Amino acid sequence: MEQQSAPIVFNRHLTGDYWLLEVECPGMAAALKPGQFVNIRIGDNLTPYLRRPFSVYRISEDRRRLQVAYKVIGEGTRLMKETLHEGGRCDLIGPLGRGFTLPEKARRIAVVGRGIGIAALPTLVDEAARRGVQVHAYLSARTRSNLVAEDIFAQHGFAVHTHTDEENQGGMVTDPLVALSKELAFDAFYVCGSNRLAKAIDEVAGRQGVPAEIAMEQHMACGFGDCHGCVIPVTVERGKEETALREVCHYGPVFNTWEVIHA
Amino acid sequence: MLDTTLTPIPKAAQGGEAGPSLAVQVAGITMKNPLTVGSGTYGHHGNFSQFFPVETMGALVPKTIRNYRWPGNPAPRVHEVTAGLHSSVGIPSNDWETFIAKDAEILRGLKLPVIQSVIGRTEDEYVEIVEKCAALGIFAGLELNLSCPNLKQGGLDFGYDPVAAERLVKRVRNATTLPVIAKLAPDYSSLANVAQAVEAAGADAIALVNAPRAMCIDYQTRRPIIGNKIGALSGAAIKPMAIYMVWQLYRTVKIPLFGMGGVSDFRDVVEFMAAGARAVALGTINYVDPMALPRALEGLRQYLQDQGIKDVNDLVGSAHI
Repeated sequence: MEQQSAPIVFNRHLTGDYWLLEVECPGMAAALKPGQFVNIRIGDNLTPYLRRPFSVYRISEDRRRLQVAYKVIGEGTRLMKETLHEGGRCDLIGPLGRGFTLPEKARRIAVVGRGIGIAALPTLVDEAARRGVQVHAYLSARTRSNLVAEDIFAQHGFAVHTHTDEENQGGMVTDPLVALSKELAFDAFYVCGSNRLAKAIDEVAGRQGVPAEIAMEQHMACGFGDCHGCVIPVTVERGKEETALREVCHYGPVFNTWEVIHA
Repeated sequence: MLDTTLTPIPKAAQGGEAGPSLAVQVAGITMKNPLTVGSGTYGHHGNFSQFFPVETMGALVPKTIRNYRWPGNPAPRVHEVTAGLHSSVGIPSNDWETFIAKDAEILRGLKLPVIQSVIGRTEDEYVEIVEKCAALGIFAGLELNLSCPNLKQGGLDFGYDPVAAERLVKRVRNATTLPVIAKLAPDYSSLANVAQAVEAAGADAIALVNAPRAMCIDYQTRRPIIGNKIGALSGAAIKPMAIYMVWQLYRTVKIPLFGMGGVSDFRDVVEFMAAGARAVALGTINYVDPMALPRALEGLRQYLQDQGIKDVNDLVGSAHI
């Protein structure tokens, strides 16, 4: 974990409601594991006061640059879009938190994402491709143009199932996954962006006795464990009722699905 | 104009060459410079040097501990406001056994004065945790966080009630020979009376301000935003109020003051010292800019040099003419 003032390579429109920021920060990019995040300070003023945490969208092949995909939803992301320009600098802290676990013997995994949650998956999928692990992706969004990263999964030649609210009536993107999982033995499942999807995945993974992980979000102040602000309730022991409050930045952002879906 | 940009750790801050004297004495504690941190704003699971060596600061105030395990408040706990943070974390605390096995061992190894912050719900709980901390023999002083509802007196904070504050500090005074620092809440009506009461009861210093109570409501749902409903306000937004209160207490009590509340950079440090603080804590800014403290220290040193001030103590109370 380090703090860097990283040169901005570009900050441009990605697709739909999403923008893409790329910065050069070799140490951080090289150290980052799939599912970890960075905490970005937008400008050097006291408004907005807090940093903004983002999952890392992609690491360059030479592992010198990293990308963050974001949606403009508030003042912070609006300023991010309008004030961070190529040639400028971006103050970021990372890599932060605990990322995804890709089991050593995994041969085939399923990744499930909705909306901007999909942005946390490409680093995992790139790592899977490097290790020769086959990926089945199930992506959903409000509109087709908001299906970020569909192209990345397709470039790897992985199967991509999509579901959009405007094109598909009813059902969930996981419906084909649930059906398919009876034929294909997945070694692990990964979910981002929807607790509803996480519940569906947890059931499938539970039946097959394989791990399922979910990347969680919570409002953060520091992002590096000092403020204890970003807690969520977490089930302490599988199958038991006892819950505890855990910091998403320290114990997560990636949790086992069983830890978060009942808590 | 705020000095919060990202710059490397200044070499001059490591000391060596002749420059202005930065050391201060507060409540019998010698600090090599006047900077410290607000309790609970610095230090990650016992790791105190994630961004800069903890020994850079004049004294360390670690996270407040209780004499009992406490999970803290429900989520969500933090909410950004204009130039500040609205939060209600609730001071989660490990039990004493975990504290001595883990945290105390780390604190024991640090090479700077450590002022442990403590809190309780009753006088007895304060006294118990104070006695336990004192017996460890590793602390330079104890800070009493008085912003806790007094369960035996109808739930009014100790820090809002001069009579309760005086009784509590007297009992703590009798329980330890360590310097005792009373940390006060910024209550306009009771502040001066509480300060005089804790001074009379034997407190060696006062720390102020703790974060004032605050609330935010979501205009769409018309419900409080954070889990505990009521929280606190911290960060740059509260600084002018804190400066006023330090100013006021400098004229009210003789014991030294730790000033805090929205400190972001060396200019704020100078402001607090000019108002009357002998030492200054950086708090919420540590979450935003973890290098703020070493940068403020270097800025302070440069400021003193530029102003021809040889001793940082000359700043204390300099706004009172």
